[in-house]
Amino acid sequence: MSETLNHKLVLRIPFETNKQSEIACNSLNPDPILKSRELDVEFEIDKNTLVCKFSGTSDRVIRVAISNVIDNIKTIIECMDEFDEKKEVIFT
Amino acid sequence: MTVDLDQYAKPGKSYYLALGLEGSANKIGVGVIKHNLGQLSSTNSAEVLSNVRDTYVTPPGEGFLPRDTARHHRNWVVRIIKDALKVAKVSGSDLDCICFTQGPGMGAPLQSVVIAARTLSQLWDLPLVGVNHCIGHIEMGREITGAQNPVVLYVSGGNTQVIAYSRQRYRIFGETLDIAIGNCLDRFARTLKIPNIPFPGYNIEQMAKKGKHLVPLPYTVKGMDLSMSGILAHIDQLAKQMFSGKKPPVDEETGEPITAEDLCFSLQETLYSMLVEITERAMAHVQSNQVLIVGGVGSNLRLQEMMQLMVQDRKGGSIHATDERFCIDNGIMIAHAGLLSYRTGQTNELWNTVCTQRYRTDEVFVKWRDD
Repeated sequence: MSETLNHKLVLRIPFETNKQSEIACNSLNPDPILKSRELDVEFEIDKNTLVCKFSGTSDRVIRVAISNVIDNIKTIIECMDEFDEKKEVIFT
Repeated sequence: MTVDLDQYAKPGKSYYLALGLEGSANKIGVGVIKHNLGQLSSTNSAEVLSNVRDTYVTPPGEGFLPRDTARHHRNWVVRIIKDALKVAKVSGSDLDCICFTQGPGMGAPLQSVVIAARTLSQLWDLPLVGVNHCIGHIEMGREITGAQNPVVLYVSGGNTQVIAYSRQRYRIFGETLDIAIGNCLDRFARTLKIPNIPFPGYNIEQMAKKGKHLVPLPYTVKGMDLSMSGILAHIDQLAKQMFSGKKPPVDEETGEPITAEDLCFSLQETLYSMLVEITERAMAHVQSNQVLIVGGVGSNLRLQEMMQLMVQDRKGGSIHATDERFCIDNGIMIAHAGLLSYRTGQTNELWNTVCTQRYRTDEVFVKWRDD
């Protein structure tokens, strides 16, 4: 089946720390890929870089998947900006 | 015997705090709740430290679509979490767990919120607790109103169920066979192109007060269940005739023209009568004399009034309802139900935090009750 997933693209997103890239990977990983016959997405970490590997049956499905992953990563990064290292902080 | 709720308390701490994140429909809500050690009771009740919400409002005539709603939630989720913590004046280190809605609801909005929950849980090393949205409504309603073991009427934009507790499950006695009651009202509001602010059902309720003529509509109780799509199709048709001016509907007795207000009035009366009927039957079946109304449509005063009329004819009957802070989707109910679950040792590992659109109320094992 993977033969037909011949459109491929890799996103490499650097984070500030190894821990952050790991957290991002763990947050993205649980959700199953819908339409797994048309699309596969794998998340890996390479030190402080999150590596997202997309393979799909067309550039269209990859474009939709990337857009979705980037939206999720935006939430993750915003969360990190606001809350990382701030467990003891009472916000005012 | 009662369930021991303090096996998992942090040593030396006399209370629990939970953060709750809700985003299953067009509202994003975050709340912080506090439970003191021991059983919850009228003298040891849960304390709401914050309850922040933002609603995605669409223009008149339009409903909310999953993708746009998810985008709204993504834009707001981090800010609202921060606001809720700010209002509650608590830090991450004081929290026991992070609770999130795992379903039922719209897939994309649910997913956009759980991403934030997973990230925060790892950043602050706090356990996650997945919560069934309906259980959130039920437990928050019980806590706020003090109703011990009521028949629950859960009426909202996505759900219509009559529920009663039995042996550690909230069991569904009757439910809609097609669309939810709130969905029926919302869609009729769209047909009439009335505003979605503050929410469509509220505006229908206000218009209904001015209605004079009861237009006959199908009355579709099917055993313990309801069907509402046919009623919607019927009343939509009447509204179209009214707007087009071709064969405008008239009242059968007086011959006066039917107005939009009359239609709102008739729709409410018909739908709520059906709800009252199946609720009464459920009460008779489980021999309960309490009714608890939860969910967004539960904030409708006419529904509360009609239910009241039914309940007061039953011996020792009482009706319990909450106001819009707790009726309409909110984060605090997720925090509350999640914390009950946490106190009985139920938490979710990351791999087990996938949200589902379908998640029935009776799938949840109610470990925190044993009556």
